[in-house]
Amino acid sequence: MDYSNLQRKAAYLRKSLFDQGYLDEQFDQLEELQDEVNPNFVEEVVTLFFKDSSRLLNNIDQALEKSPNDFRKLDTYMHQLQGSTSSIGAFRVKRECTLFREYCDKENIEGCVKSFQKVKREHAVLRQKLEAYFQLLRQTGPVERATRASN
Amino acid sequence: MSSQPSAGGGPHARFPAGLRVLVVDDDATCLRIVEHMLKRCDYCVTTCSRAVEALRILRENKRGFDIVLSDVYMPDMDGFKLLEHIGLEMDLPVIMMSADDGKDVVLKGVTHGAVDYLLKPVSMEALKNIWQHVIRKRRNESKELENSGSLDDSDKQKKYSDNGDSGSLGIEENWKVVKRKKEGEEEDEFEEREDASSLKKQRVVWSVDLHQQFVAAVNQLGLEKAVPKKILELMNNPALTRENVASHLQKYRLYLKRVSGPQHQGRADSAFSSASDSSFSSVPSLDVVDLQALAASGQLTPLAIMALNSGPRSFFNSNAPFVNSSKMQPAMMHRVNNNQMGLLYGPSASMDSRQMVQAQQIYRAYQNTGHQVSEGAQGLLKLPSPERTSSSFSSGLISAGSSNSFVAQMNPQRQQISLPQHQEQMQIGVQQPSRGQFLNRVVVEHDSKISSTLGQQMVSNGVSNNFLVRSGAIINGRPPLQVNYMNMPPYAVPRALYSNVQNPHVSGTVNSSVIANTFTGMKQEAITIAQRGVEQIDSINSLKEVKDIVPNYDMFSDFNQSKNQEWKLQNLNLSYESSKQVGTQLSSIDYGFSISAQRDGNGIMKEGVPRNTCAMTKEVYSMTQTAIEHEKVEFVPQESLFAAADDNYDLESIFGRQPDTNGHVEFNF
Repeated sequence: MDYSNLQRKAAYLRKSLFDQGYLDEQFDQLEELQDEVNPNFVEEVVTLFFKDSSRLLNNIDQALEKSPNDFRKLDTYMHQLQGSTSSIGAFRVKRECTLFREYCDKENIEGCVKSFQKVKREHAVLRQKLEAYFQLLRQTGPVERATRASN
Repeated sequence: MSSQPSAGGGPHARFPAGLRVLVVDDDATCLRIVEHMLKRCDYCVTTCSRAVEALRILRENKRGFDIVLSDVYMPDMDGFKLLEHIGLEMDLPVIMMSADDGKDVVLKGVTHGAVDYLLKPVSMEALKNIWQHVIRKRRNESKELENSGSLDDSDKQKKYSDNGDSGSLGIEENWKVVKRKKEGEEEDEFEEREDASSLKKQRVVWSVDLHQQFVAAVNQLGLEKAVPKKILELMNNPALTRENVASHLQKYRLYLKRVSGPQHQGRADSAFSSASDSSFSSVPSLDVVDLQALAASGQLTPLAIMALNSGPRSFFNSNAPFVNSSKMQPAMMHRVNNNQMGLLYGPSASMDSRQMVQAQQIYRAYQNTGHQVSEGAQGLLKLPSPERTSSSFSSGLISAGSSNSFVAQMNPQRQQISLPQHQEQMQIGVQQPSRGQFLNRVVVEHDSKISSTLGQQMVSNGVSNNFLVRSGAIINGRPPLQVNYMNMPPYAVPRALYSNVQNPHVSGTVNSSVIANTFTGMKQEAITIAQRGVEQIDSINSLKEVKDIVPNYDMFSDFNQSKNQEWKLQNLNLSYESSKQVGTQLSSIDYGFSISAQRDGNGIMKEGVPRNTCAMTKEVYSMTQTAIEHEKVEFVPQESLFAAADDNYDLESIFGRQPDTNGHVEFNF
């Protein structure tokens, strides 16, 4: 029963992540790729994502500091980030990335800075939530995505 | 997708299994995800995160891969460069991937030879069908070799031509062979398909060394004078046949033009005019790959793809199907609507390989000139070939749906075309049955910028191209076309317009879309035709008569039916980009005709047409004049048009199929 409680929690958390737009259908695709052969695929990919994206965020931070006028560079970095965020279905982060790039296009450095803060924030929030989610999943054991059914 | 590994379904189910894929992406997350998706599809996956590494892997293992997936933006090498390298050296189909869905980028992919362009995030659906590109490419090459090859292959050639006409035989046949081979054999041996294509010649792998020899020979002869026969002699390699050299030469020429595109405007001209004869046979026409890339870059509609048919060679020597993704440079086309469907130009039942050739020619022309159509400029390239060339187009491009990937090649015969999910691209396959002049009508469509390469090419080659670009307009009742005269030489406009106005030919000719390529000398005619096309379009718009707009253009009729009044003549901006550089981008051309042809199977001129046409002529004329003065393409996409188009947009009705959830529509021709 504790188990099913956890399951329910996991399901709920998952659902809320989707409902609140933290995740989109691309995340579904990731989950589809998970199977007996790759039982922790989603978590692995997400971990990989956060490792990579943290590095990218650092790069952007530095670029904003040292060469804020190099919009092309900023855009390139952000484009990279956008690619991976969209790959894991990190909808909100992706959205902020897009806004950032728009500011880059307009060469609006202030806009970029502000927007970047948002990117970082969304990134951090998502990380927290997903960590909580995976933790729950681990506790519930390698079950099928029963949570999906509840969606 | 959850395809079960070797579920034991028929040979068909096992068929793509074992496809050897190389994925290149500097983004580790994406790489991982794509890798797993591909594995789910039962493909053999190799990954790497650097382009140079990818090249190394490929070089070391020449025949070890069937297809390559590459990211566009990579730190060490531009994805497009990698694409070209692979095309030249290994001749493998390459699919580009990127989160960037800008038309110009996608078009770039096409022009550089990508067979498809997937938008990130990549979905399983998109990856599921990448094997089709492999098959298509091989078929094309096979045909290409045969066509440009010796006469003793005449029966084979005929066979292909027949196939082209009948449509499905060739592919079906190949498939059957493939399936037969598959059965009872190792399920994972994807290479079997090579055997299946029994008509295919032995593929030559162009190693770096070999390529160097080739380049040396070409340089020695002089690029313009380099003919396969002489190159072959100079290279003195017994393993090579003239056909191998010919096809490689085509690619190489294309590659060169692409690299130095912007400066090649005049060149294309001379290339064309001088090669009017040889051009059709050994001109550096678009490679199949290039075409494919083109097609791929844009969103090809299934029909378009069909029209283009990856067998450009098969149809005509060195004629690559004209694939014009709607991505045209300088924002020729405004991004109207992601769901806009490009004109579907589908090859009519009797797809004429010649038509494909035409398309190819056009494409080539465009490539060479690298004209650019200014943003939003859309032009309808219409060629009234029938009269002169007595060729009819049966092939057309259909841009359908929108999806992240597109099928680069159109195969008039049973080919599966995945429609881009969000964008529609039109590809037009034009075949020119007769050499010499023919009008090219390329319908460029969609919300991609249309590179005025086409237009430019045409112009510089003395061909007047009328580009009818339709942003997201779908022929056959789809959104109205936006017509722009692109690259129309000022002088061309005038009378040409009227001369053919009355000519039912223009309309009738096309089987709904005849693409005639007009080459130098046909300027007037081309213009006329273009004008006519435009007129027709104009008539539709300006007259606000959504009826019988253009005889040929069924699309117009459809359009009429849709009562899209928003297409206004004044919204069309004729633009002439005679000296703009388009680079290697192709303008997406809407080929409305084909679609209509497809639908109705005939390009009969509607009654009202002549009348309309006449009336329109004037308007067109004046419009043209204005356009001439402007020398600039300013196409303002009519959002409303597209809105209307959307209403009328019905993939299913066009193709009779339901797009899948990703907006892919698969067509089995």
